Amino acid sequence: MLKVEHLDVRYGDLQVLWNVSIEVNEGEIVALIGSNGAGKSTLIRAITRLVEPAGGRISFRGIPIHDKPPHTIVSLGISMVPEGRRIFPKMTVLQNLEIGAYLKKARKKKDESLSMVFDIFPVLEERSNQQAGLMSGGEQQMLAVGRALMAGNRMLLLDEMSLGLSPLVVKNIFRVIRQINQAGISIFLVEQNVPMTLRIADRAYVMESGRIISHGRSSELMGSDHVRSAYLGI
Amino acid sequence: MGQTLVYGLFNGALYGIIALGIALVFGIMRYLNLAQGSFIILGSYASFFLFKAGLDPFVSIPLVAAGLFLAGIAVFKVSFSRLLVYPDPGKIKNSLLISFGLMLLIDSLATMAWTGDERSITPAYSGLTIGFAGLRFPLISLASAACAVVLIFSLHFFLSRTYFGKSIVAVSQDFEAASLMGINVNRTFLVSFGISVMLASIPAVFIGFKSFSPTVGIQWFNKGIVVVMLSGLGNIYGVFPAGLFLGIIEAISVYVFGAPYREVTGLVVFVIIMVLFPKGLFKGQEL
Amino acid sequence: MGKRGLAGFGLVIAFIALVPTVVTFEYVLNLLIMLFIYVIVAESWNLLGGFTGQVSLGHSAFFGIGALITRLLWVNHMPIPLALLAGGASAVGLAAIIGMPCLRMRSAYFPIGTLALAMIAQITIGNLFPLPGSLSSEYLVTYNTVTRYYLALLVAVLTVGTVYRIVRSRTGLALVAIRDDEAAAEAMGVKTMRYKVLSLMVSSLLVGFGGGIFAYHQVSFYYYAPFELSWAFLPTLTSFIGGLGTILGPVVGAICFLGLSELFALSLGEVHIVVFAVTFILVVLFLPGGLMSINTKIRMMAFTLKQRAVGIGR
Repeated sequence: MLKVEHLDVRYGDLQVLWNVSIEVNEGEIVALIGSNGAGKSTLIRAITRLVEPAGGRISFRGIPIHDKPPHTIVSLGISMVPEGRRIFPKMTVLQNLEIGAYLKKARKKKDESLSMVFDIFPVLEERSNQQAGLMSGGEQQMLAVGRALMAGNRMLLLDEMSLGLSPLVVKNIFRVIRQINQAGISIFLVEQNVPMTLRIADRAYVMESGRIISHGRSSELMGSDHVRSAYLGI
Repeated sequence: MGQTLVYGLFNGALYGIIALGIALVFGIMRYLNLAQGSFIILGSYASFFLFKAGLDPFVSIPLVAAGLFLAGIAVFKVSFSRLLVYPDPGKIKNSLLISFGLMLLIDSLATMAWTGDERSITPAYSGLTIGFAGLRFPLISLASAACAVVLIFSLHFFLSRTYFGKSIVAVSQDFEAASLMGINVNRTFLVSFGISVMLASIPAVFIGFKSFSPTVGIQWFNKGIVVVMLSGLGNIYGVFPAGLFLGIIEAISVYVFGAPYREVTGLVVFVIIMVLFPKGLFKGQEL
Repeated sequence: MGKRGLAGFGLVIAFIALVPTVVTFEYVLNLLIMLFIYVIVAESWNLLGGFTGQVSLGHSAFFGIGALITRLLWVNHMPIPLALLAGGASAVGLAAIIGMPCLRMRSAYFPIGTLALAMIAQITIGNLFPLPGSLSSEYLVTYNTVTRYYLALLVAVLTVGTVYRIVRSRTGLALVAIRDDEAAAEAMGVKTMRYKVLSLMVSSLLVGFGGGIFAYHQVSFYYYAPFELSWAFLPTLTSFIGGLGTILGPVVGAICFLGLSELFALSLGEVHIVVFAVTFILVVLFLPGGLMSINTKIRMMAFTLKQRAVGIGR
């Protein structure tokens, strides 16, 4: 469904991603793990073209997307929950969710989508008239995910969701991710919290210094010595 | 004194509308458009010549608005769009510089085309006033205040009830996140800039009723920027009360110091505000 | 710049100084005096704008007050050197009162703050001194264009020299650091406010002298004329177009401006402004180094071409 082939990304003269290739098939949960600064966020931002590729190809359902602006990529079927939540701080929860349904195709299904999001995150319904910027980190994260779901896309990208959240909240969100995936949405997530990630992901890629150094099914990776020592502290 | 206050309030309404155009652009994309005054004057000339051709100035407002919208879009595409990549302080500084050049350009082209003479739109009804409580209320000023009120409400409706309006609000708060909602951010900036220049069409007509010449644009910009600073950069709803406030202060100073120093009042207030409250008087409540 | 550059500069000055011995046509001398004034205004502006990063749109206030004070003192029999000094001092005084508050504003709003102040000054002076002054017969009889030529040239050289010395000193380094990244400079221990104030003071002093020369040069004198905003826009335009962070940039810009305005003087009066405004916008968008950087860019292009030919580089 989503294919990244031989991607290079440069910030000015500094190259940060080297020959990165990953694949996400329909219905999967695929993860990208690696330490801080490895380039994970850069990759996910390159997929939605918030960052420009210097070389390589990205395609979604066969359509090349590496040369399209972010809003087009969203309308083609990929939604992203960016790092740091990035909810609209001066809008209410409800307004945030509504703007999530900006796409023409999403507007028609707005009420459906809204009730789905409220089912998954009842807290959002309780606080629907609260100003988003005043909510806690965990609530904002839920809002960000809910907002991304409003677009009705079948592919969801998640950038460092667990950052800055308490373990309980993180557990809850991961449970929700699995729930969303079971409803048919393919997931690609970038994460630092390796144990939890490997528990829900089908497959994972490991990135170090801008390169993919290994990949495989989560169970394999959990057993790999390198992953265990570098990321699981074992 | 009462009459002076009445005039002050009406002036204040005008200042508020001018400020709206400036505040909108700043709130959405952190640009300061020094040339807003020049666009207003362009609109005044357009209205003036349409009047000479037989069109009532109030009727000409939509035409002038359309023309200014197109002008705004064209100018944005050619120049301001390139500044979008800068961080905020760079955007403010560079947009100031570019609009400075733009102002000089428009003003000198206008002087070349239409000479430096002062013009004025004088329809048959320009002197009419309504008397109330011993004070006189010029009809045209009442109309301008009415326009201002209609404008604020329409803008509020547009921004809070239409999807395009909501997308503008989203872009002003976080344009990257907005793009992830499927919003075409570049087009939003383009159209918003066009709208802000289009807003100049209303003050254009009402300034046309008073008098104007090619180089007075900057003075009107100054009124606008004072009001914007008074209400807090980026806050478009505080603009109207702040405008009225300026109008009242000016009226008081005319009463105390005499007419020649009216222009100075606003500027002095401005400098004081900028020095003491760099972020404006009200909490900068953005769009 | 080195000994060669200095010698070259000296040669040019000597050449300019000899002009009145050859040319007696008053029109040319007056033209050159205006050029010197433009250079003074632009160069002094550039110290604050180009080297310290504070774009002032209100230098006309300092120019104007220098002109005003110098004129008032001089027509009341004070010798011109003293009157000039007083003019410069008044400009510094004005800068201390009104310019400093502007520096306290957030740096991006400095231009509008100074513009507002220039407008206040223009309107106030226009109200206080609406009528022109002219020279009494004794002054008219002793009016000597050549004297003024040399005085203007002297002040212009002084201005360029002062800016040069400051820029080349440690102070200059601090100024440029502030221009490039004020927050970083502050973090490195540079007392940014102190340097910004210094830059403003020197800049206003020099432009005050320029105003004084202007007042000395005019026969009939409108007191509000040097306060007109065009005297604030001029240095901005010329310095940007000539090359913001360079010593010669403002000079180049001033020459271009004067040349263009003379070229178009007899036709539609505003054309040179149009040309300059468009060039200015293009410079801001595409050529931040101004005309002076074209030289550097050409040399860099030649250098890379040479490297490629030899096989180095991508």
